[in-house]
Amino acid sequence: MKFKGITSTVIAISFGVLVLAGYIFGYNADGSLSLLGQFQLIILNIAVILAGFAVLVGIFNLLLVHTKKISQKQKGAGYSIVLIVTLVITFLLGLLAHYVPIAAALFNGAFQYIQLPIETSLMALLVVTLTYASIRLLRRRLNVLSVIFLVTAWVILVGTAPWPFLGDVPFFSDIVRPIIAQIPAAAGARGILIGVALGTLTTGLRILFGSDRPYGGKNG
Amino acid sequence: MPAILSTDLVTGIISFLLTLMILSYLIGDNPAFRVAVYIFVGVSAGYAAAVAWWQVLFPRILMPLLAGSLTERVLALIALALGILLLMKLSPRTSTLGNPSIAFLVGVSAAVAVGGAVMGTIIPQTQASINLFSLSSAGNLWLERFFFGIIMLLGTITSLVYFHFGAKATPDGPKRSRLVTILGGIGQVFIAITLGVLFAGVLAASMTALIERLNFLWSFLAKLL
Repeated sequence: MKFKGITSTVIAISFGVLVLAGYIFGYNADGSLSLLGQFQLIILNIAVILAGFAVLVGIFNLLLVHTKKISQKQKGAGYSIVLIVTLVITFLLGLLAHYVPIAAALFNGAFQYIQLPIETSLMALLVVTLTYASIRLLRRRLNVLSVIFLVTAWVILVGTAPWPFLGDVPFFSDIVRPIIAQIPAAAGARGILIGVALGTLTTGLRILFGSDRPYGGKNG
Repeated sequence: MPAILSTDLVTGIISFLLTLMILSYLIGDNPAFRVAVYIFVGVSAGYAAAVAWWQVLFPRILMPLLAGSLTERVLALIALALGILLLMKLSPRTSTLGNPSIAFLVGVSAAVAVGGAVMGTIIPQTQASINLFSLSSAGNLWLERFFFGIIMLLGTITSLVYFHFGAKATPDGPKRSRLVTILGGIGQVFIAITLGVLFAGVLAASMTALIERLNFLWSFLAKLL
């Protein structure tokens, strides 16, 4: 029987089952770590290292894609130069940060004075995009559910925001908002959470049973 | 202290310019916005790479190889070998060699996800749903608590039913059963309310970010002038 990727499948299933078994039989009756628990720790440690390598693979790939863009003089190559320069400089500063104090200061500065302002500003842009999206929702798909969605959002905002000269809005802030947030919204969130968990459970089990092989196996 | 002042000035100008470049998106997509976004991606990727090196690869591979016990060295060598195989994924010609490493990661991640889903979400959330009907601690408010508990349970179950996509094959095409359609419809209302609350939360958070940024721009300009 031709079975492409059998090694990968065996690796995925065996290590996955070992880790899962570690959750159940990981401790002895006296509370100490069992042999399976120790195995689980070792496997998880190796997985963490591999995740570190995966980050590097992703970043190398990013570099390769943008280097190719520059070498082929594609549209937007100038932006790629900016990306590569900032990436390489930040990485080098990060590598030197443990030995050269000025590099450490610059590396921390890259987070504090570049990443943080950009992230906050991107977050700030959301005000406009979300408001625009809600207006579009009303104009394009006006039905009971979209009205419930927007009215809920409006009620929560009115009940949450400290209004000028008014502070909390009576009735909205102390009655309506807590009831909506703590009962129907919490119920829906619980349903969504359990649904996501059941989906994760199913997908995980399909991988552990070998039905799904997203690592280059027969069904990968 | 002129050196410190000048450092403050330079960092302030950088933050000021980057903030303006990002907020310039409000007048439409433009090169300034794109430059800022590419800078962000570059700095974030470089930062992540440095963190991956110092927090993971250096202490868990290099240190054990240089100064660890025999067992630690063997484990570090295994991890290093799998890591090198993973790096093979970078080239299409050697990509197949990286499959065992990916399989290891996928298998372990699936097991962790299964464990997390069961022990981190399904059991605690189910327990919380059961606790809603623990009326002994409610005292005189037991009726109110029971009523809210019923609504919570109804919302949880109907929201879950909404995600049930099984359908029967009929001559007119696949159809969900009548009960599932009704319960799913009720679930949609609960989900719409939940998403509305989340939307309001994100909007409030982004409003706070906008106020903080505008305040920064204003105070920086005021200091400068």
